[in-house]
Amino acid sequence: MAIVSAFLMPGNPLPFLQRANPPWGIIADGAVRAAAALAASKPDVLLIYSTQWIAVLDQLWQTRPHSTGLHVDENWYEYGELMMDVRADVDLAQACIAAATAAGIRSKAVDYDQFPIDSGTIVANGFLNPDARIQVVIAANNIYHDFAGTEQLGRIAAEQAALQGKRAAVIAVGGMSASYFDHDIDIAGDRIVNDATDAANRALLEAMTQGSDALRAGLPAYNAATKGDMGLKHLGWLLGATGGFEGATVHAYGATYGAGAAVVEFHLG
Amino acid sequence: MAQGKIVAGFVAPHPPHLVYAENPPQNEPRAEGGWEPLRWAYERARKSIEELKPDVLLVHSPHWQTLVGHHFLGVPRLSGKSVDPIFPNLFRYDFDLTVDVELAEACCAEAEGLGLTAKMMRNPNFRVDYGTITTLHMIRPQWDIPVVGISANNSPYYLSVDEGTGQMETLGEATRIAIEKSGKRAVLLASNTFSHYHFHEEPDTPEDMSKEHPQSYHGYKWDMRMIELMRKGRLREVMRLFPDWVEEAFAEVKSGAFPWMVSAMGYPDVPAELHGYGTVIGTGNAVMEWRLGG
Repeated sequence: MAIVSAFLMPGNPLPFLQRANPPWGIIADGAVRAAAALAASKPDVLLIYSTQWIAVLDQLWQTRPHSTGLHVDENWYEYGELMMDVRADVDLAQACIAAATAAGIRSKAVDYDQFPIDSGTIVANGFLNPDARIQVVIAANNIYHDFAGTEQLGRIAAEQAALQGKRAAVIAVGGMSASYFDHDIDIAGDRIVNDATDAANRALLEAMTQGSDALRAGLPAYNAATKGDMGLKHLGWLLGATGGFEGATVHAYGATYGAGAAVVEFHLG
Repeated sequence: MAQGKIVAGFVAPHPPHLVYAENPPQNEPRAEGGWEPLRWAYERARKSIEELKPDVLLVHSPHWQTLVGHHFLGVPRLSGKSVDPIFPNLFRYDFDLTVDVELAEACCAEAEGLGLTAKMMRNPNFRVDYGTITTLHMIRPQWDIPVVGISANNSPYYLSVDEGTGQMETLGEATRIAIEKSGKRAVLLASNTFSHYHFHEEPDTPEDMSKEHPQSYHGYKWDMRMIELMRKGRLREVMRLFPDWVEEAFAEVKSGAFPWMVSAMGYPDVPAELHGYGTVIGTGNAVMEWRLGG
């Protein structure tokens, strides 16, 4: 495996846009620590899967060499704007497309001017790769792919990175619990929507610190207890790409308008 | 000032394939055609708009999904390029629309008055969603009528279908009150597909109509049953069956545009005009009109 590091990053843009708000600043601070760990692992490429890039037909992969522009989130527009600055590893993305298609997952390249790269990818890339120095491979979340299918995609991406001799960091972009407050709140007092959901999030984070077997064992109970972001399929990408991990450091955990957000660094064997 | 009025409501679905197939100058990709029966249905709807001469078009779109309340476009003019994140090969459209901010603010205020969380979207760099743009292009490609754009709050998914639908019906009531106070002639556009079962792979030529048919016979039968009720003017019965339709046909009307519109219209018993029905990647799409007079 060519995987040198792996991270869970929240896709909600609030910590990136409003670090001055204490509950969100905690998450942003954790992302800064994750960025330092990522830099230390010296990756050639980031393998990114974001729950917020939705696909319904085929599996999509970003192949635009350099995507730039202003991005306004459809929900959180009042908190500011995001600058898109993403450089794709086109050779590796094309290899992933070919390999996924060969594996029976019909895949397509996405190379369009002003394509709206999702908020989650922009934010994770902005925290971890602020000068866009490191190229990325970005895979869409086809909503009809299950957890196992998403693991397969992650595995394919890692295999192709290894075949190209590249050091890859795996970035799973998505939230924990996905239940938001559906009314205006005092953002300075942001918290998880309820105690049971908070407890479920904390239990799953604790499982992550114990390794991938514990995470797998904890997922069914988590999904039964709360509504996770897209069934936490982004962790399927991470598990598939890494082939498992021995433990994890939770750099931050908190709420983004009631939903769970965590920054986690996984320790590879 | 005369009392404002909703002069018509349309089910006006938003598959970007329809814009793609028409080859308008605003859209970058070129097509060989396709989905003609649905596009001809929209031609008839366009004639109705020409006759109705509305002051404003209000559109509720499931592809501007909001988590905290019901949002309204609140910038006088919005323009840019809308690239569909799901179908970027088909839809890369240069849009330029004028918003009736005054009416949008009134709708927002009335919604808050009825207990809903509602917000005005004031960011001038906001990129309007492809559902809103597709519906507006298909119904009025001249872009010469101001619009009110309304998001789809995710309450039907976050809460229950009944609770979420209840919110949309309240939003419809607020919309009607605001229109009546405005003195304007308004047309409502429910940007919804009906049965939303679809294929998971795209043909090499997207407009190859030999590949197009209902993905689900069960979904198709639900659509026909509901369309027939609408054609008979039985909207109350449609709404009684609404939760089952949503559940069994995976109908996109769950996202709220349809209940918003019929509530705003007051569940009229006038028969709906079916301008046409067709499938897009297997989903069921009807272009329908309720003419309310005036």
